[in-house]
Amino acid sequence: MEDVGFLAFVGEHMNKFFAYTAFANLTAGHLIMICIGLAFIWLAITKEYEPMLLVPIGFGILVGNIAFMPGFQIGIHESGSVLNYLYFGVLQGVYPPLIFLGIGAMTDFSALISNPKLLLIGAAAQLGIFGAYAIALLVGFSPAEAGAIGIIGGADGPTAIFLSSRLAPDLIGAIAVSAYSYMALVPVIQPPVMRLLTTKKERVIRMKPPRTVTKQEKVLFPIIGLLLTTFIVPSGLPLLGMLFFGNLLKESGVTKRLADTAKGPMIDIVTILIGLTVGASTQATTFLTAKSVGIFALGAISFIIATFGGVMFVKIINLFLKEGNKINPLIGNAGVSAVPDSARVSQIVGLEYDKTNHLLMHAMGPNVAGVIGSAVAAGILLGFLS
Amino acid sequence: MFKFRVLKFISIVVFAMALLLTGNVKAQSGLDLRINEILVHNDSNYVDDYGMRNSWIEIFNSAYNSVNMAGMYLTNDPKDPKKYWIPTGDPITKIPSQNYLVFFADGKPTRGILHLNFSLEDTNYLALYDINGRTLIDEITYPPVKADVSYGRESDGSEKWIFLEKTTPKANNYTGVVITSSERFVKYDPYGVGMAVIAMSVVFLALILLYLIFRNIRKVYAIDLRKIFSKHEKVVADVDESNDVPGEVTAAIAIALRLHQAEYHDHEEAVLTIKKVARTYSPWSSKIYTLRKLPR
Repeated sequence: MEDVGFLAFVGEHMNKFFAYTAFANLTAGHLIMICIGLAFIWLAITKEYEPMLLVPIGFGILVGNIAFMPGFQIGIHESGSVLNYLYFGVLQGVYPPLIFLGIGAMTDFSALISNPKLLLIGAAAQLGIFGAYAIALLVGFSPAEAGAIGIIGGADGPTAIFLSSRLAPDLIGAIAVSAYSYMALVPVIQPPVMRLLTTKKERVIRMKPPRTVTKQEKVLFPIIGLLLTTFIVPSGLPLLGMLFFGNLLKESGVTKRLADTAKGPMIDIVTILIGLTVGASTQATTFLTAKSVGIFALGAISFIIATFGGVMFVKIINLFLKEGNKINPLIGNAGVSAVPDSARVSQIVGLEYDKTNHLLMHAMGPNVAGVIGSAVAAGILLGFLS
Repeated sequence: MFKFRVLKFISIVVFAMALLLTGNVKAQSGLDLRINEILVHNDSNYVDDYGMRNSWIEIFNSAYNSVNMAGMYLTNDPKDPKKYWIPTGDPITKIPSQNYLVFFADGKPTRGILHLNFSLEDTNYLALYDINGRTLIDEITYPPVKADVSYGRESDGSEKWIFLEKTTPKANNYTGVVITSSERFVKYDPYGVGMAVIAMSVVFLALILLYLIFRNIRKVYAIDLRKIFSKHEKVVADVDESNDVPGEVTAAIAIALRLHQAEYHDHEEAVLTIKKVARTYSPWSSKIYTLRKLPR
């Protein structure tokens, strides 16, 4: 062994240590991503835009963009690392159905059951998915990638993650971050489209108060909903099965403990894991590509098309409805399944034109229908493109 | 009469769905195994662990779960289904989903469990039987084949048998370019219009069916089965109608009762108990540290 002086020995190891630090491995990409992560956290805390999602994702972006020397099982994309194990639930599509279980357990489908025609608005708003799919094909994405990108238009984070894990695993990070970002930006994206497509007269349409829904109807809804939707689109079973199961736990009235767990601690745990790992998957070295930029652009377009689809559909069916039964087209935007933000947007925009016209309860119908619709649409894309 | 018709309709729908269901059930078991490819005369082809060239048989697991072949039978004699018993207890007999296992038909079973006690050159028949030795899983009667040319299914697990251009032991029989379903889809629908129309139609169909059911579900509730099957139809109907109190009336009664009770409550003697609630301070129970803002 070569005999070197103590200072030389220390100096050599200090150099080695410095080479391992994030300062030595930092790139401009990492800095950009750290700024994006900080922006997410700022939006979540100060503006309160989807804090439950943006705080874990924003912090995850910071975690994922600490520049490190590869090969030490640190990074989320390195096999065997702790973060990689946690990310397994995203890659294999484990987390999204669990989140759907919680969503089912906290969703009240009464608005939908009392006025079932609102279901159709949830279907019409899925136009955003297929509009974005067509545009993605046009700009050169592969069909499977286009399908995964299109689902951003469903405004449903778990569904987007589930489908992209199946169709385009390389794009999960970009798709998930895009979906959640635009879900947080629903109050910014939707109102201009809604105002553009509606007249003042339409915006003040008053809808009939929803009728009382019986317990039997509430119990039957998840059972019939599951059988009907999954018989048509079995590939949507992981999401729809868990959604309706969670809802049955809630509505049956005899499994309160299970429902409480599903909508409480369980969904919280999975949200933390999914948010953090999706955020961390946006490592600058793999994330900052032209494709990611394209996905962000397509995500915004898909939300606009989805809002357009929902509002225009209400305007069209209003042509066939009698006076007094008409639907306020401002609830059309709620067909995208960003629950409950898009329904809240309907309420806020509605109140701008009539201070006494509360649309929230009506908008919850298409909103929860959108959850079902986007899961069905994901099942179709999976069936056709996988 | 209308209610009878509704009941009849429901029972027909349920029966039809049950029939549809039973028509196309696919098992995920040993019955999913397929004799996939055989090479009868092996002159310069695949060699076994002993470096010998013999006829071989490729079994394909078409199921989406792993299947263990242990205890099953392979035979080249239709009269003797139990000619070669595949030994149990060896993990090698477990075939993963959509994977293969190759047996050597060399008539030398002492060389290992994958070496059969018969040769494919002896007959032109090969069959695979389940562990009971009676349930036929798959069989093939093969035509005369040239040396080193394998006879197999056109693609793994498909129905059509052909002479394969390349021998493919432990690999996919189809060696051409595989076009994925998404590539095929986009070939016919390059702009995604077809996808949009089909998919939107399916989404609408699913939700329209749900809409129709929930629009009419109250009518189904209205069917009183007791009334339909009871001999004293009239009496039961009268009782039901008398119980049908409108919601507004119920609400009015409830409000009246509440007001009435509230009135009494004002005159009620109140007993006030002051009890000190002892709560030991701890940072674990402190509201300052644990209270968080609820989502808006």
